[in-house]
Amino acid sequence: MAEPQFEPQQSAKSQAEKRNWLSWLWAEYSVIIAFVIIFVLAAVLNPRFLDINNQLNILMQVSIIGIVSLGMTMVMLSGGIDLSVGSVLAMVGVMAVLALNATGSIPAALLAACVVGLAAGFINGVLISKGKIASFIATLGMMSAARSIALYTADGGSVSGEVNGFSAIANSELGLVDYPIIIFLVMTALVYVLMNHTRFGRYVYAVGSNERAAVLSTIRVDRVKIAVYSIAGFLVSIAAIIETSRLNSISSSSSGQLYELDAIAAVIIGGTRMTGGRGKVIGTFFGVLILGILNNMMNLMNVSPHLQGLVKGLIIVVAVLFQKRD
Amino acid sequence: MAFISMETIDKSFHQVRVLNQVNLDLVEGEIHALLGENGAGKSTLMNILGGVLQPDSGTIYVNGAPVSITTPADSQKLGISFIHQELNVVSDLRVYENMFLGSEIRNKTGFPNVKAMKQKTEDVLSRLGVSLDPSAYVRDLGTSHKQFIEISKALLRDSSVIIMDEPTTALSDHEIGRLFELMTTLKESGVSIIYISHKLKEINEICDRYTVLRDGFIAGTGSLEEEDPESITKMMVGRSVSQERFTREHEPGDEVMRVEGFSKTGLFHDIDFTIREGEIAGFTGLAGDGRTELFEALFGFRKKDSGSLYVHEKKVAVNHPNQALRAGIGLVPKDRKENAVIQDLSIVHNLTLSSLRHFEKGGFLTKKQERKAFKQYKQDLNIKAHDPKALIASLSGGNQQKVVIAKWLEVNADVIIFDNPTQGIDVGAKREIYQHIVSLAEQGKSIIILSSEAPEVLKLCSRIYVMYKGEITAGLNRDDTAEDEIMAYATGSKRMVESIG
Repeated sequence: MAEPQFEPQQSAKSQAEKRNWLSWLWAEYSVIIAFVIIFVLAAVLNPRFLDINNQLNILMQVSIIGIVSLGMTMVMLSGGIDLSVGSVLAMVGVMAVLALNATGSIPAALLAACVVGLAAGFINGVLISKGKIASFIATLGMMSAARSIALYTADGGSVSGEVNGFSAIANSELGLVDYPIIIFLVMTALVYVLMNHTRFGRYVYAVGSNERAAVLSTIRVDRVKIAVYSIAGFLVSIAAIIETSRLNSISSSSSGQLYELDAIAAVIIGGTRMTGGRGKVIGTFFGVLILGILNNMMNLMNVSPHLQGLVKGLIIVVAVLFQKRD
Repeated sequence: MAFISMETIDKSFHQVRVLNQVNLDLVEGEIHALLGENGAGKSTLMNILGGVLQPDSGTIYVNGAPVSITTPADSQKLGISFIHQELNVVSDLRVYENMFLGSEIRNKTGFPNVKAMKQKTEDVLSRLGVSLDPSAYVRDLGTSHKQFIEISKALLRDSSVIIMDEPTTALSDHEIGRLFELMTTLKESGVSIIYISHKLKEINEICDRYTVLRDGFIAGTGSLEEEDPESITKMMVGRSVSQERFTREHEPGDEVMRVEGFSKTGLFHDIDFTIREGEIAGFTGLAGDGRTELFEALFGFRKKDSGSLYVHEKKVAVNHPNQALRAGIGLVPKDRKENAVIQDLSIVHNLTLSSLRHFEKGGFLTKKQERKAFKQYKQDLNIKAHDPKALIASLSGGNQQKVVIAKWLEVNADVIIFDNPTQGIDVGAKREIYQHIVSLAEQGKSIIILSSEAPEVLKLCSRIYVMYKGEITAGLNRDDTAEDEIMAYATGSKRMVESIG
């Protein structure tokens, strides 16, 4: 016997609406407010911070993790998590270099990278949607497997590109702005459009919010999930190409280490809910910038690198504490 | 003298009276049936006795002394045990661990005294005539055994009153027999049982006295010996049931959908029916009749073992709701919050979720078109919402339901299934939703209403199917039937001999 529900009293409505609006403002824009505060604080604490070269440096440093975080945002909005991004990045890098050296062709290397990243993401997606394995477990398996493949193929060491021009991808600039920054911004815009202006994006939010209702709304939840993990894998490929091209080499053992944690941190700081359904691509963008500024500030102020993890940890916890909870 | 008596209990939720001067007397060593339709106030009354809810006024006496029961713990201290319809057992623990959960026997060093607990468990179970290994895992046991564990828990606490809320819904006839034997043994040892059930046959078999609630009032109380099922049904339904009917002028047209031999082990079997253009058909029954599961399977949300579905004389395979949508079938599910609305999406995004293709242009969504559609439905269905971009949760239940209905109107399905369409909705919105449903049928849609409330299907549907334990026990025409007849088919005390459909 369900108790009857009734509409709230009319009189209390306008006040509640006002409060709702304020909390909405905070929930939607808290990450931007936090970004502004941290930015101003950094500028006050160290005058070198505002230098245009330093600013571009920050963007450059966050571009790789930023691109990975975009994929992580989609995954987390769909209600999942992807722990495999760091390992897949290393595996993609190794494969790309091998393809590059074997064929001597840069497009072939790029194609190999994209195929490997997409395939890893696709496998994640199938395991999670068709195999009904928790995303944490499925991607934990992929994390271990991809790293192992990278280590085995590269004999545990690094592989370097032997074709001229490959390192130009990440080391060229347009005016003052390095290519990786441009790629990051373009990817952010693309993912933003995908999530906010297409049917697919709407479905991802619906799946993350209430999977059961999404199925009953005739959404092909399986396909949406496979697509989400595949796109996340593709974005890891892009990040891997930048990472590999930057030094013209990739380490099978250390490249991509703990990238999954940085990406998850950026997404969480950006206000995306751990359980999915609520969050914003723009939030992740600013979350990534906040992490970048913090790193930069601590370097400028000569904070011991061993302490930087503590600060990052605090920021993550504080960010979640302050976010609207429901 | 009454052992427990509840006197002049009043209870309101949001200014709506759900209990009105209700009295209940329970004597020692009796089985007392508490009867009434869904929403009559049975659960509310029992939740008051169990300490879950507080009455607005009225007194509870135990052995003649007034007591105050403000928490479930108070109620337990008085020797009252409440066995809820949903069993509260932890399936990953063993039988004895469940039995003593929260009140484990410890030895001197503070560790659980497993031996003593197992021994006591065995004692209690043998008292019930149940042979069950105390260290078996509960997950490996059948529903009836779980039910016995709940009852044993009540016995362990030396309860003198046990409230059983529809304990037989998940039990087989054989298991019900065992439960009844047990209840008789308990009764003879002086325990009183309050037995809530819809099944009049059972009530006649096991209970001594009865109290009937109707719309929060006492409709009758007394000894069961003086009553027959008919008179009790009359009391539950009431003689002054609102006769309001939403009638339609036109006759239904050609066959739109035909279901043949739908079966799923344990849920429903051999279901056949057809529905015609512009027809409103109703499916009703009690908890556990399988109607929701049947239509979830028809909609592709749930797997079925066998059966064929024809839409416009063409056989269609539906293994996913998306295929149902393509076949022209829509479902407005029950439990709106869990099944129908996406809490994190706005009103307009909920509305367009199943028909986003209508709003696509060159691969991108045109939000202007979405808002236009919302405006149209807002007007058509009288949806009270200021801001289409607000979250759907900001709307009242009735308005949320209208948005869900609008979602299926935008899909433009030929057949729309409404599962419990007026659940948790106030009276005004209920009427409006009924009117919309009727006008949909007038526009040529085929409508199927699933409802546990017989008056609701009588109000809306020209053809009524009654289900009992996964079977259609009757197909009735509205004009030739009445609520008590539906009740008789729904409780299994009557069934049509010839095949229906």
